[in-house]
Amino acid sequence: MTTSSGRDALTAEVLRHSLMVAAEEAGIVVIRSAYSTFIVEGSDASAAILDRHGRLIAHSVATTLMNSMALSVALPEVLADHPAESMRPGDVFALNDAYRGGIHTNDILVFRPIFVGDTVEYFSGTLIHVSDLGGASAGGMAALATDIFAEGLQLPPVRIATADGLDPVMERLLRLNSRTPDLVMGDVRALIAGAGTAARRIEELLAEYGPAEFRRSVADYLDYTEARTRRALAALRPGTYRSEYAIDDDGVHPSLHPGAPPLVVRVAVTVAGGSAVIDFEGTDAQVAAAVNSSLSQSLAGAVFAIRCFLDPTLPMNAGGLRPLDIRLPAGSLLNAQSPYPCGGRFLPVYAAIEAIMQAMSEAAPDRAIAASGILQPFSIAARQAPYWIHLAYDFGGVGARAGKDGPDATGVHFGIGRNSVPQTEPVETRCPLVVEAVEFIPDSGGPGRWRGGLGSRTTFRLLADADVTTRGDRLRTAPPGRDGGRPGRLGGFFRRTPDGTVERLPAKNNNAHFRAGEAFIVETTGGGGLGRPEERDIEAVRADVADGRVTRLGAERDFGVVIGDDE
Amino acid sequence: MPGHVIAADVGGTFTDVVLVRPDGTPVVAKTLSTHEDPAEGILTGVRSVLESSGTGPAEVGRFVHATTLATNAILERTGARVAFVTTRGFRGLLALGRYARVEEDRFDILFEPPPPPVPLSRCFEVTERLDARGGVLVPLDEADVRRVAGRIGRLDVEAVAISLLHSYANPAHERRVAEILAEALPAGVSLAVSSEIFPESREYERATTTLMSAYVGPIMVRYLGLLERRLRDIGIGARVQVMESSGGVLSAALAGRRAVATIESGPAAGVVAAQAVGRRLGLPDVISFDMGGTTAKACAIRGGVPDLTREFHVGGKGSFGGRRAGTGVPIKIAAIDLAEVGAGGGSVAWVDEGGALRVGPRSAGSRPGPACYGLGGVNPTVTDANLLLGYLDPGNFAGGTLTLSPERGAEAIERVLSVPLGVTPEAAAAAVHDIANAVMAAAVHVVTVQRGIDPRAYPIVAMGGAGPMHAARVAERFGIVRIVVPAACGVGSAAGLLATDLATDRVGTRVVAHADADIDAGIGPTYARLTAEGLADLGVTGRDPGVVVERTIDIRYRGQAHDLNIALPPGELTKAVLDGVVERFYERYLAAYGIAPRDPVEFVGYRVRVTRLVARDAAQAHHVAPAAGATGATGGPARSRPAWFAEAGGFADTPVYTRAARRGLPPLAGPLLVEDAEATVVVPPRWTLTVDATDTITLSREPS
Repeated sequence: MTTSSGRDALTAEVLRHSLMVAAEEAGIVVIRSAYSTFIVEGSDASAAILDRHGRLIAHSVATTLMNSMALSVALPEVLADHPAESMRPGDVFALNDAYRGGIHTNDILVFRPIFVGDTVEYFSGTLIHVSDLGGASAGGMAALATDIFAEGLQLPPVRIATADGLDPVMERLLRLNSRTPDLVMGDVRALIAGAGTAARRIEELLAEYGPAEFRRSVADYLDYTEARTRRALAALRPGTYRSEYAIDDDGVHPSLHPGAPPLVVRVAVTVAGGSAVIDFEGTDAQVAAAVNSSLSQSLAGAVFAIRCFLDPTLPMNAGGLRPLDIRLPAGSLLNAQSPYPCGGRFLPVYAAIEAIMQAMSEAAPDRAIAASGILQPFSIAARQAPYWIHLAYDFGGVGARAGKDGPDATGVHFGIGRNSVPQTEPVETRCPLVVEAVEFIPDSGGPGRWRGGLGSRTTFRLLADADVTTRGDRLRTAPPGRDGGRPGRLGGFFRRTPDGTVERLPAKNNNAHFRAGEAFIVETTGGGGLGRPEERDIEAVRADVADGRVTRLGAERDFGVVIGDDE
Repeated sequence: MPGHVIAADVGGTFTDVVLVRPDGTPVVAKTLSTHEDPAEGILTGVRSVLESSGTGPAEVGRFVHATTLATNAILERTGARVAFVTTRGFRGLLALGRYARVEEDRFDILFEPPPPPVPLSRCFEVTERLDARGGVLVPLDEADVRRVAGRIGRLDVEAVAISLLHSYANPAHERRVAEILAEALPAGVSLAVSSEIFPESREYERATTTLMSAYVGPIMVRYLGLLERRLRDIGIGARVQVMESSGGVLSAALAGRRAVATIESGPAAGVVAAQAVGRRLGLPDVISFDMGGTTAKACAIRGGVPDLTREFHVGGKGSFGGRRAGTGVPIKIAAIDLAEVGAGGGSVAWVDEGGALRVGPRSAGSRPGPACYGLGGVNPTVTDANLLLGYLDPGNFAGGTLTLSPERGAEAIERVLSVPLGVTPEAAAAAVHDIANAVMAAAVHVVTVQRGIDPRAYPIVAMGGAGPMHAARVAERFGIVRIVVPAACGVGSAAGLLATDLATDRVGTRVVAHADADIDAGIGPTYARLTAEGLADLGVTGRDPGVVVERTIDIRYRGQAHDLNIALPPGELTKAVLDGVVERFYERYLAAYGIAPRDPVEFVGYRVRVTRLVARDAAQAHHVAPAAGATGATGGPARSRPAWFAEAGGFADTPVYTRAARRGLPPLAGPLLVEDAEATVVVPPRWTLTVDATDTITLSREPS
């Protein structure tokens, strides 16, 4: 963007705001009108504005890269099946095909074309995890699926609505394939309404600026983002940085089974001259278990991780992707081919993010980070009618950073915050269970000069029989520390019987039967420490003990600090 | 009651004080805000208006105040020392938090979650547990509460916030905890109980709202006590009334108990001022636009009423003026739903590392202030740009509070902006002015276009020291063709305080399906109880003249999380009334989201607002009219100076008028400037100026 005239700077600034507002409004409409458990319990919807090549122009503040990259990769696939010339004003398209940009079957992507005259030039897109679309487990978490058919209904790019409204055939098809037909149709209507809102805003902007000015401003905005991204990349120490990170297990093969396939993500990041090559060559092959990722999700992970080592204020749009060459071997854990299941895509993607973060910690030691606990999704669902489900995740502790402790029980991967963790009161109002405690686990942060973030423990006592499904990782091999820091404490999923006995459940399991009176316990893994624990400031240890983050025993054992009873 | 009224508005940069005589004539004082001791700036202004109006302090019968005290206490973490008590198992509730990572936080590997509003070492849990219907799962262990009281007693706290799970459904355990703590703790430790402050489901927001009440309550009580004492010292005996966020005012006593309700005190006052101006001019639909030294605020007033919201995020960030959920401390209060952006006269202009010119959100505030203040500021600001463009008179700024230095302003613009950008200082200043307009337009956009309102049908009411300088350019962005600039616009928020009524809000919460709604045993008694509590807050009865009771109900689709608030008609509650309300819910939903299936709905919340109207005649008089016997219109300009207009291709000699000079005369075409003591109205080319007999300015232009 040039600044030779204030008018150019102004136009770009105003348009940038307007585009984001358009996406923001779409997100608000979806959140306000959806029924999905995730949305009802506090998660955000995703919404984006794209051009007719699938290039991301802007997205709402709450939209994660996972979702904006899915929209970006999927749109050309929609256009491949439905050429732009065949689209009519008011048409809406949908898909969830993981091998064509989608995420997993329970996430539906919706697109609405935006016309300039008679030509489709832009699209609005919306996306949420819908209520239920079939598969082996309610709510879309078939943790032990061995192919994608167990994960629910697959939807190729389809015209789901026209100016006349929802396609009745599509509606019947979706209803028949859902455990919650009314709720899933409510979600689809919400997605369509959101995309419509954003499309109307963009049409207004096109009328206000004129198509040529609009196109030029968008191009300027992407160029400006590219230039800033290149400058930020050029500031990194040039070189090739390698690392790898392993997934514990695939859930299908018993732990440490001799025949279990290796599940290691390997990366080489080469930065030089304002660009970066992120090459995952050598990553292990896809497996017949839900620990593979589709292409769009792996791209998102790579972009997110590298962005964490650049200026955090860079805008997120297609301009920022141009300097990045991301290589994802087809048929690997990070680029699964049909019918390898993709429902557990966050497991290899988080391994990819962690591998890049460890590699880049060498390139930028002032932003080094130890490995982190990850989010641990689970569902607790009715065994019979009336149907209810609590579908949520808890966060592990973040690894310690250069000069800073790791944040407690929060998401470092994709920058998700704790606002997506449901609150107890509405859950108890909806579901027959009592949340006995949501608490920090003392001493769970990896000891170090900078301490890893703590894990959390949530205890659900069931008032009715229920099926519990889990999808955890980093529950057998703890996230390691860096530079002398120690690993975080391992979390897990547990069953507590009424006599008080606590047994560990497999990290990944499908529909474990729980009886009323039993408790389901979610403990998340703490983040790794950074630097030697003996070098930790004694006052910091003392403050941790006062707050209950570290016990007196832990202070002495892990940090060599003895704290008296009177403190 | 003595008939003079004083209003004082403490903003980020200036403190405005307005005195209005019984006949409606105003006297105005503007002073720099004194953040260490806000009462100091107020007293300076009060002495000034008393003296210049020749008013004796005993003649002041009402003192209305807008304050940023609660906001600042939370933002700067200078509130009372507080302890927090909750249900066993949930000690970490506040420390775990519910923050969202948005914008640059999301990609910041060094991000830091906001520190908890109270440290874990002052959070306690007691053994007890209710279920979602208020039934007792675990009885309250009173011995446990006494042990906790003992530990809190050793912490030397000023206040305790109590928020137990599901207390909105059954307050018994909370009340008993409060009783035991009151017995055990030293007198003077105040208690805030969640079931009294905000009895709604969702434990985190209920806890933060309660905690913040405890946090700012004691300092609000202390501050108001001190302010009243200092006013008494100079002979003003009137009790202070405090503006609350939803547009009413609270007595000092109620403001102490509900300090969080004053969070958006000043911005709300500006909206109330615009509402009063609209009412007087017969304009029910207006956009309130208030630009001061630090921020600009916009609000849509529809049918004479500003939109209200029920959740506010103090210290929040994002593109929506500090309201994004998860980025601040959520406080569940009724607040005027305005958009606030970091663009004020003091907003700093800078060049980012991509070479783009940016304005704000950082502000130079009152210290050191813009470079041209000559108080040590070295960064160029919007005010510096406006001065360079000729919109401001260096010798007549903010009521003569300061003499501006054009040299210092120009130097800062040249050094920081025009040299790095390779443009002339004029071009840089014009761009700063334009970008500030764009940022403010975003605020207008949020409260109009984004809510489905076509702003072209809404005149702008422009206020604040900087508002009338930018209003025409903001209006042009939306095709708005009419702008109203009231007299004393430079102290608009303070003027708004004069038009306020005493008000209080009460809320109850219980989920009931529409199909199962029982009016006689459920909803009816709930509204009766809330109404009685609201009347008691104001010390009035429902039969008193000027007392208005408004009831609303929160409705949502069964299975959704978000509800809409629908007004109940006055009169008896019947099944037919409830059915009608549900119909209005469907209509509103369709208007908001474009879809409205006739699916089953449920009632979630029940709200009552009790208002005691200030005598309407007095409020009408308080429109801040020109002094009686003011000299007639002369028609001609007082002087002229070069001012920058893009349409004119740069600087052009531009006439400068006073309001009085054009009072009652035919429209006059721009470009021209109108100077008040506290503000300058910029009338660009294609706009025309008229001034009516009340000194209200109207700018208009032909639709393009």
